[in-house]
Amino acid sequence: MSNVSHAADWISERRADNVALAPRISEDWLSLIIGLLIFALALAGLANINLLGWVVTTSVWTNLGQALKTVSNSYSSLGGVGALITTYVALLVLLGTAALALKSDLKKFALAFTAVFWIAYASWIVGNFANFAAVTPAELQKFSISWSLKLTNEGGYIFALLAGLVVANVFPRFAENIKDAVRPELYIKVAIVILGGVFAVTAAGKLNLASSLLIRGVAAIVEAYLIYWSVVYLIARTWFGFSREWAAPLASGISICGVSAAIATGGAIRARPMVPVLVSSLVVIFAVVEVLILPFIAQVLLSHEPMVAGAWMGLAVKTDGAAIAAGGITESLILAQNAAEGVNYQAGWILGTTATIKVFIDIFIGVWAFVLGYIWTNHINATGEKAKVREIWERFPKFIIGFIVTFAAGLYLALATPADIAAKVPAAIGEANTFRVIFFILTFFSIGVLSNFKRLWAEGIGKLAAVYFVSLFGFVIWVGLLISWLFFAGIKPPLAS
Amino acid sequence: MTHSEFHEELRHGMKEPLLPVEKKLIGWSFGLGVVLLLVLTLVNHFFPVA
Repeated sequence: MSNVSHAADWISERRADNVALAPRISEDWLSLIIGLLIFALALAGLANINLLGWVVTTSVWTNLGQALKTVSNSYSSLGGVGALITTYVALLVLLGTAALALKSDLKKFALAFTAVFWIAYASWIVGNFANFAAVTPAELQKFSISWSLKLTNEGGYIFALLAGLVVANVFPRFAENIKDAVRPELYIKVAIVILGGVFAVTAAGKLNLASSLLIRGVAAIVEAYLIYWSVVYLIARTWFGFSREWAAPLASGISICGVSAAIATGGAIRARPMVPVLVSSLVVIFAVVEVLILPFIAQVLLSHEPMVAGAWMGLAVKTDGAAIAAGGITESLILAQNAAEGVNYQAGWILGTTATIKVFIDIFIGVWAFVLGYIWTNHINATGEKAKVREIWERFPKFIIGFIVTFAAGLYLALATPADIAAKVPAAIGEANTFRVIFFILTFFSIGVLSNFKRLWAEGIGKLAAVYFVSLFGFVIWVGLLISWLFFAGIKPPLAS
Repeated sequence: MTHSEFHEELRHGMKEPLLPVEKKLIGWSFGLGVVLLLVLTLVNHFFPVA
């Protein structure tokens, strides 16, 4: 997978002075390494060595002084602000090293990341203000408040997204200055690697349910992809008169996993690099709109079908970052609504369903890109270089290996180790999960910063946007809902003990 | 290709008729998707989550 700026990078791989700019390692592999590193450090907790307990976590607040604290009491002497600064420094070092490996300018990255981290986390803190986040009557009473927007604490993601949108559209020059650290795909891939372990801990309690969800996830995405792609391609080609070169990446972008699918398809059919880049820009904009709307529709329509809602986010919201973020918000809203009605579901199942669907989609992208590449290079553009089977592996999103590794390790530790070790697994992986939340926050803010509506309109892609709008809101979202309903209706998350 | 040429291409499109192979791709993709949806929905119905 790749992000928009990343895609733009491969248009010109050399600087004017002919110095090669190709990074030593791809963003994909880097996210895998960072995710596994955080997961491994968290697992030291199983040997009673608490390496990550200093990471900052935020509670719903009315008194700002009590909003922040360390995730583990062992480090409580740091205090909330100390934890926040420590977390910032640790992430700066970790991601600065990653930036070096990606051959970015370290000083520029450090300055940009400083701005990204503090604005994003400040938005998250604002989103945790009790009048925005408190949900249940008990919480309203606890904070002595009479009203709340009931966005839950995960509504903080929306605040981070809005902050990013303000930066992109009101302060475009500032957005340009911080672009080195605006890497939503890197952040979300790291989060997904960690999420594998978190989901394993959730799944360990109900293995039958988890395996059923996995099978249904695969079933749902295969036909969704096939139906979506063919209809969107037909609409783009016949209703809007787009050429094959535009229609194929557009169909892949709108149909399934947005940015990555558009870029993989563009590469497979040998489109000019600018084509998938423009499509990707559009994908990000529409993903923002979806994140702001769909979780709230899901809360209204599907609060009693939580798994349908989770699957729907995976099938309808494009790009990994936006989809999994939407899954997180949906989970939060639906769990809160059910809690208010006296039903307390276990957390993690709705988001886990969204993540599972997205991960399978990512795997399928490489296969579909190969199919298209084969047809294009053999039957449509037969003079070009032929598509090769090894391209499936080349396009395989490597961070998914990380998701599988952390999922398998988490499951093993929770189910196959002695009881005293297994009992420590949720707390240990919980510390890694706190990092997952921070990477989500960075993802939301970064997606917002990439969404400069005015500039996109100036690019002259109104007609592309029209195809996207018609296909997404007229077809993809609703077929996704139907398929989610067919496969996930009636399945409920376990009740919290 | 310059930016303005891109804009022009985007605005007016490039009329290319649907080739038989494209029609086949659309038909197979859609048909397979619908058939799989029906089959897997039936499987899901007869083997519900325990």
